[in-house]
Amino acid sequence: MAIVKWKNPKLYDPWADLKNLQNEINDLFNYDRMPSSTGLFDRNVTPAIDFVEGENDYTVKCELPGLEQKDVDVSIASNVLTIKGSKEENREEKKGKYYKKEIWSGSFQRTISLPSSVDSSKIFALLKDGVLSITLPRKEETKPKQISVNVK
Amino acid sequence: MEKKKELESKTRRFHPSTDIYQDEDAVVLTMEMPGVTKENLHIKVDKDLLVIHGGRATEETEGQFRIREIRQGDFYQEYTIDDTIDRDKIEATIKNGLVTLRLGVKESEKPRKITVQVN
Repeated sequence: MAIVKWKNPKLYDPWADLKNLQNEINDLFNYDRMPSSTGLFDRNVTPAIDFVEGENDYTVKCELPGLEQKDVDVSIASNVLTIKGSKEENREEKKGKYYKKEIWSGSFQRTISLPSSVDSSKIFALLKDGVLSITLPRKEETKPKQISVNVK
Repeated sequence: MEKKKELESKTRRFHPSTDIYQDEDAVVLTMEMPGVTKENLHIKVDKDLLVIHGGRATEETEGQFRIREIRQGDFYQEYTIDDTIDRDKIEATIKNGLVTLRLGVKESEKPRKITVQVN
């Protein structure tokens, strides 16, 4: 990990508000109610994800509303995590009409390159309330260790 | 500083992705609310106003975000419903983060077939 200049989060940063405003305005333009398609190999629609680096593990969260366990496929191959699946539209005999149609359907795929410190044998995935959480534990030897300082 | 804190404590709200579909019996609203549980979903009908509020617990995440695309905040949407909706026939279900709201149309408003009598 690169060395980053220390910033006290408790100090009031006058530029932070301005940055937030800029981000929110940018969000307005970018947000199109559709999952974004980013990355070189993610040509399909991709659901939004969060990737959190914790002390003992990494957590990946992915928003998959309306999907069941059988629709989601999570796999890992040489440190590349792939979340894919398909969301099929409810194909009932529809006689009425739509006033609004914002929910997308179809297949999606998302790939994430994982750090080499992930222990790929202990990955745990849970789908709950339309949110997929994948816990990727770190390898034992890469966890931060407490080194005691001896005073003579 | 005080003002800043006040602003931060207010959770952000945004509209969920919605499908609105109408057939003869009902108006069906389907809303995507990932992360919303049955306990956090509040649907209220106040005269002509239908208020849907899906709260999401903001859990403290320990660690640093490397990718952050999931929008933080609650889902909130208001709709005005007219007299054709039977207020006693509103049903809501939530499953896997997908909320389905069925607004029943009043019997008197449903299309009727009039048989033509031949003498």
